[in-house]
Amino acid sequence: MGTDAFEVGVNFAKMVAIFLMMVQIVPLLVWVERRGSAYIQNRFGPNRVGPLGLMQLLADAIKFLTKEEFIPERGYPFLFYLAPVVAMIPAALAFGAIPLSMPVNVEAFSMLGQHWGPYVFKFQSYEIGIGIVFVLGISSLAAFGVLLAGYGSNNKYALYGALRACAQTISYELAMGLAIVGVILLFNTFSFSEIVTAQSAPLNFAFLGHKVEWSVLPNWGIFYQPLGAVILFSAMFAEANRLPFDLPEAEGELVAGYHTEYAGFKFNMFFIGEYGHMLVASALMVIFYFGGYTVYPWLTPETAPKIMAPIAGLMGWSTTSTAVSLLGALLLHVVFLTKIVFFLWIFIWVRWTLPRFRYDQLMDLGWRKMLPWALLNTVVTAVIILVMRHPWGG
Amino acid sequence: MWEAIGFYALAIFLIYFAFQTITVPNPIHSALYLVLTMVGLSAAFFNLGAQFIAGVQMIVYAGAVMVLFVMVLMLFDLKAEIRAFSQGLFSGGLKVMSAALLAGLAIGAANSSVAILDKPVEAARAPADVTRQLGLLLYTKYLFAFEALGLLLLVVAVGVVAVSRIRGGTHAQR
Repeated sequence: MGTDAFEVGVNFAKMVAIFLMMVQIVPLLVWVERRGSAYIQNRFGPNRVGPLGLMQLLADAIKFLTKEEFIPERGYPFLFYLAPVVAMIPAALAFGAIPLSMPVNVEAFSMLGQHWGPYVFKFQSYEIGIGIVFVLGISSLAAFGVLLAGYGSNNKYALYGALRACAQTISYELAMGLAIVGVILLFNTFSFSEIVTAQSAPLNFAFLGHKVEWSVLPNWGIFYQPLGAVILFSAMFAEANRLPFDLPEAEGELVAGYHTEYAGFKFNMFFIGEYGHMLVASALMVIFYFGGYTVYPWLTPETAPKIMAPIAGLMGWSTTSTAVSLLGALLLHVVFLTKIVFFLWIFIWVRWTLPRFRYDQLMDLGWRKMLPWALLNTVVTAVIILVMRHPWGG
Repeated sequence: MWEAIGFYALAIFLIYFAFQTITVPNPIHSALYLVLTMVGLSAAFFNLGAQFIAGVQMIVYAGAVMVLFVMVLMLFDLKAEIRAFSQGLFSGGLKVMSAALLAGLAIGAANSSVAILDKPVEAARAPADVTRQLGLLLYTKYLFAFEALGLLLLVVAVGVVAVSRIRGGTHAQR
């Protein structure tokens, strides 16, 4: 956590703030989803409560909190209560491990008659050296939330929904993992920050042992791994149980699938888990393929403080190096959030555009199409990288 | 000191979960305790500095294998199997044999772990470096064992397809 009280305090506040950020994005996304779907389907959507219907979220929250508490009589109460929590935790933990902006450098200062040494605060809840593996492992636990819900409810529809969700998660996890292997091979690291740093540079690669640099384009993963990006993004839809992969909660067949018996805030927690997965999926897409929190050559960890320093001076804010570093980090954070919002909108757009798959089509796509393509992507990437990086010229 | 407290707390939880796995009567609850054991084991690896192995343990065992386990347990009605394994001479013999196997494993692990403790401790390395060394070892020194295990898994997969095609079920051919 840290070496002294200030560092521990800031790190703790950071963890709480990032968790709250994830939870607070959910009502906004629900609003975007409802207004967006209305826009796509030529309707109005919620527009009565507050400006543009924005207060609808608050009304929904109050409704969720005041609903009747209900437990199925023949269910397993402990598992029934545990399921929504288990559904929410993996998304929150995974989101905490993702760097949301560049680190903030805090210079040495004195406060309360004591000297507090220089610090470097990462713009994330915690950094783990093997970030990618950690996020993959934690996200794979999300299936248990659905399984516990299906089993704890002791309801046939809920159980069917849970079984479908698990089969789907396992099938698509393979393709997802293999698509990410391509990225790991390309950037040669498990750390998110190093991947982002590698992408805040001009397009450069080794060509038969010679270094080639092409300064027109940024060094984004999408230019090397377009197939991997498509596979990863499609698999993410299945992992988050979003349409067109929402068979676990297919309304026409299974009432509401695994959350048939859930109401009120417990149902809301499943919702937070699902939207949290979308958030993590969008963040992974941005970090792996679209430069993370940087836009080379304009917005990188080097240029952001330089941009913010004159602005801070103009606005009359303090222009110490700590303040400028913090402002630069906030600027890059806005860049990151903008990119994430774009992918979240694609999630919503696809949901209201494509119909649901049939179950055999789902399995066919996962095992016979995406898995072989992902395997091919991995093998071809590995061979090309081996050939290109080999020092042929001596 | 904190390291020791963390380790022993984790160890106590792990032993409790593992004990519950084999004593709880409901098979699904037993499988869920096994999930907790796997997650705890991953935390133990992490505690030891083997971050990559911790992550893989989480992805493969807790994430994929146990999800399949729990799913299969939910699909089947296990009353007959539970009865068959809770009484009879054959299952009794199996239990005695597995107890003997466990005792042998425990003694062997205790012996070899003492031998490991006697060796000088190497300096901690960066996580990426550990992963690199693991990969190098797997593909050089232990290449034969690694490939043999892969072949074994392939045989198992083919066997499962063959069995599911012969004996009833949705994919049966006769």
